[in-house]
Amino acid sequence: MVIGIDLGTTNSALAFGEAESVQAFPVEQVVQPNEVRAEPLLPSFIYLSGPNEITSLPWEESPKFTVGALARRRGAETMGRLVSSAKSWLNYSNQVQLPIHSPDGVEKITPVDASKAFLEHLAAAWEHAGNEPISEYDVVLTVPASFDAVARQLTERAAREAGIKKLVLLEEPQAAFYAWIAKHPDWRERVGPGDRILIIDIGGGTTDFTLIDVKDHAGSLALERVAVGDHILLGGDNMDLALARHVEAKLPKLDAQQLQALWQQCRAAKEALLDPHSTVTEQPVTILGRGSSLIGGTIKSKLTKQEVETILVEGFFPHVPLDEEPVRAKRSALQEMSLPYASDARITAHLAHFVKQGGAPPTHILFNGGVLQAGLVRDRILTSLNLWLQKPVKVLDGEDLMLAVARGAAYFGLARQGKGIRIRGGIPRTYYVGIEDSMPAVPGMPAPMKAFTIVPFGMEEGASHRFPNRKFGLYVGEPVEFRIFSSTERRGDDAGELLEPMPGDLKELPAMEMTLAPTATTPGGLVPVTLESHVTETGVLELFCVAASGDRWKLEFSVRERKA
Amino acid sequence: MDVSDGALQLLALLQRDARLLDFLMEDVSPYSDEQVGAAVRNIHEGSRSTLQRYLSLQPVIDGVEGAVTQLTAAGPLKNDPGAIKLLGNVPADGNVKAGVLRHKGWKVEKIELPAYPAKANLKILAPAEIEVA
Repeated sequence: MVIGIDLGTTNSALAFGEAESVQAFPVEQVVQPNEVRAEPLLPSFIYLSGPNEITSLPWEESPKFTVGALARRRGAETMGRLVSSAKSWLNYSNQVQLPIHSPDGVEKITPVDASKAFLEHLAAAWEHAGNEPISEYDVVLTVPASFDAVARQLTERAAREAGIKKLVLLEEPQAAFYAWIAKHPDWRERVGPGDRILIIDIGGGTTDFTLIDVKDHAGSLALERVAVGDHILLGGDNMDLALARHVEAKLPKLDAQQLQALWQQCRAAKEALLDPHSTVTEQPVTILGRGSSLIGGTIKSKLTKQEVETILVEGFFPHVPLDEEPVRAKRSALQEMSLPYASDARITAHLAHFVKQGGAPPTHILFNGGVLQAGLVRDRILTSLNLWLQKPVKVLDGEDLMLAVARGAAYFGLARQGKGIRIRGGIPRTYYVGIEDSMPAVPGMPAPMKAFTIVPFGMEEGASHRFPNRKFGLYVGEPVEFRIFSSTERRGDDAGELLEPMPGDLKELPAMEMTLAPTATTPGGLVPVTLESHVTETGVLELFCVAASGDRWKLEFSVRERKA
Repeated sequence: MDVSDGALQLLALLQRDARLLDFLMEDVSPYSDEQVGAAVRNIHEGSRSTLQRYLSLQPVIDGVEGAVTQLTAAGPLKNDPGAIKLLGNVPADGNVKAGVLRHKGWKVEKIELPAYPAKANLKILAPAEIEVA
């Protein structure tokens, strides 16, 4: 039996597979004070409970904090106790303490702590249902394709700390594609060599794009993931909020609780209005009065289907030309600590950018994520694509959009054990080491940097690259730091290629560092070393310094804050 | 365990999930039908899903109201004095085989209320709420 886990930004899920079939596993969680129930999804929320607020779980009498449905609910009523979107932080800052703003005395947690907590909860619920502990199973854990090396490594760490021993990381769009393959045993007749599949995944808080090519490998079909987009912090929640703001403008001033209620009401109204089977043209949006004056204080408004369509279409899915670039706001010097939410809400603009720099046009499209349940959204994306491309794309009809990733992960796990098709991927980014130019320093100006390619785009899991022609002189006992950069768009730089000057659009990751520990053969002094890059089976990047004697030292990602 | 525990708990759940007590205890006479209606849809939905979650409600006679129905349609409950109320031209001995079904009745098939901690004060149906600035 294999287990697939989707550790989502808004909801997490677990599925298990045996022989040919895969099933979702409903997760027991605290849904209300003193009430535990199994639900299909585990909301990815943590509420840092007060002393009188603990509800026991069947497997833990006094949990340290509340995880899941009640956390989400209670977190909306209070301030500074809710940890949400922890997953997105893994791609931006691993050392942030969440929640950012909290009353004094609240014990904050890191994004890795949060991921570990969700995995521990899933593992405990699994075991409590009568299964073996999770360490006994092959677990496939999904990550966004846009997660960089640090975020993947942190995810892996959270998984190991949660007790998962046999772990494989799988990219979410690939998992969605596996779910599609499993649903269509005749898939080889639906796609063929030369086809390029665009996977669009829009969830509550994030949007992810991926391209997968179908190739011919010595007579049989092979799949290769060729491109990923950036981790875009834009999703269904933004749309619900836009609708809520629209309704809010028509109402008397609302307080924070009422705004929350309005948000929920707008989400429900949106789903009802966009449901393909519904015939209603408007939905009431009602905020009940606070306290005992329920009817007296009720505020009533409504959303029409027309309004919903206009707001979503104009704000998020306008038709844009293929060369449209998403607006990137300049970051002001003084900025409150927060996630880098997308400045441009137009998903079609982000998509245009991705399709344009993807090279060959996609031939098929697979939708994933709750937002894509709405026909309106699918239609707008399809008409946009067909405006840009010579040939219209064909739609691959997807599985249950909320559980597809967990199920797909389980299918992938079964495929690994058996002879099922695997999507070849390799690292979806190019990684570079920053090398300072050896020109004399000019006071007040940073030294010009060059970029040395240590991981070429598409480097496969398990592969290594050595760079014997570039030597670095390091001293035993002294701390060493290498600045690391990455790109999702530069795909032609070969291993060892030096870019000077460094291109402006590379993203900096936390530096990799270590202190050269003395060995028997290298007891002290100056040591000439070369670099060796390696990608583990789980897709995690490793970097080593290697001396002529054969001694190797491993660098680790710094725990300091990332540079903005 | 007191006999009224279940009743108190159910009221508390209906208040928590649907604000039913707030609605019932409010004086609705000053409000128009439209105002009441707007709020009631919300409360109706919440109350209904709460009931369905914790109880399984079924009709006593699963038939068509307005159609002639045999009393045996009540199944094993047929002889339960509380199961069927006879209306209209009822004979002296009360021995009736069939009649027109006017109300299907309601019975609870299953009741599953959440467990509550031993020292909980069930008389508190809803806590007072105080917002801290």
